[in-house]
Amino acid sequence: MRQTAGTLNRTWLTILGVLVVAVGAALLLQANGTLHTLLDTARPRTSVVTGDLHAFFAQPWVAATMLIIGVIIGVLGLLWVIAQIPRKNPAGDYRLHDDASQGFTLCDPSVLSTAVEKQINTLPGVITSAALLRGTARAPDLTLKVTVNDRADVQEVIHRIQTSTLPELANALEVPLQRSGLQIDVSGRTQSTGTVVQSTGTVVY
Amino acid sequence: MSRHGQRSTRLRHRPSRAVPALIVGLLLLAAGVALVWLSITRLVNGSWPSLLEGPRDWLAALTWNDPATWQIGTAAVVVGVILLLCALIPGGYNAIAIEASGVGDEAPPVQEQETVMTCRAVAHLAKARCGQIDGVRTASATATTGRVHVNVTTFLHEPGDLRARITDAVRARLEETGLSPVPEVTATVRSRD
Repeated sequence: MRQTAGTLNRTWLTILGVLVVAVGAALLLQANGTLHTLLDTARPRTSVVTGDLHAFFAQPWVAATMLIIGVIIGVLGLLWVIAQIPRKNPAGDYRLHDDASQGFTLCDPSVLSTAVEKQINTLPGVITSAALLRGTARAPDLTLKVTVNDRADVQEVIHRIQTSTLPELANALEVPLQRSGLQIDVSGRTQSTGTVVQSTGTVVY
Repeated sequence: MSRHGQRSTRLRHRPSRAVPALIVGLLLLAAGVALVWLSITRLVNGSWPSLLEGPRDWLAALTWNDPATWQIGTAAVVVGVILLLCALIPGGYNAIAIEASGVGDEAPPVQEQETVMTCRAVAHLAKARCGQIDGVRTASATATTGRVHVNVTTFLHEPGDLRARITDAVRARLEETGLSPVPEVTATVRSRD
């Protein structure tokens, strides 16, 4: 149901990985003299820092530059950490009619989601459900998470959702759903009521 | 760093690499905070913090072929390769697709549809099915997209065909659930007095 930052993570990990490998490889090539031979860089026995570091760091613009770089790196790191929080990203209000001359009709998608959940919760074998609407009123996008007990007829639950719940939602919105995602979960608690009869005692013939 | 609009993503997906991303993000944040603190200290006091003197002297004396340079270069290559592996190794899917049967003419008014069951749910289903088989004392199950393995303990001294009955029953349950493809089912049976 909740969305994570998979693509973002892969992209930035790849970029940083390539950069760090390139820096490391360049350092090793410079250390063993290969880079000096190929590109005529500094000799391996020379000092890494050629100038006077004390004089360099004494210049006022160095601190200002470091401050800006620090802020950029820190903000990027913070944004990346925040992006790891899984988010629902629900839809805003659906604008069912947006013609100003005839009046506006707004619909809170959570109202529809609650109605969908209530209907699904009445299906046999369903313990609980969560519905989330995204997209727009013209292209609604429904994500469902349905938790069933371990004896439920999963195909029957799916069939009932597809032939009853989804058409009713589409009717209410007067458009077919753009996309529907249904995640079936099974409760970890063993179902021990309803159809199980525990026999105790002694039967005497 | 926005992620998605208000569209849903696939329910069946690979790992999001949150742990390496979180580690690298926190390291970047720490580096940024350290740089800002050092710069502000310099701007306010007019001199760099004394803890910078050690690294500054070390850097001034460092040569390109110093063992420390080799170590830093090697460490950078290793860290970079680890980051690349984290990004490029795809990892397993979190769920298995379910094929809905019997919808027929009553196809739902949906343009694109996805129905899945999480691997954890598949494991719960397999475990519960095992618990219903005569002779099974306790059962536990693990599931991936390609394989379901159940560990069963039994009261029976000689389990006989119990393992076959368990795998058949679990496979039948997964088939009737509509998993596509149906994972391979394996079982380990141990006798307990």
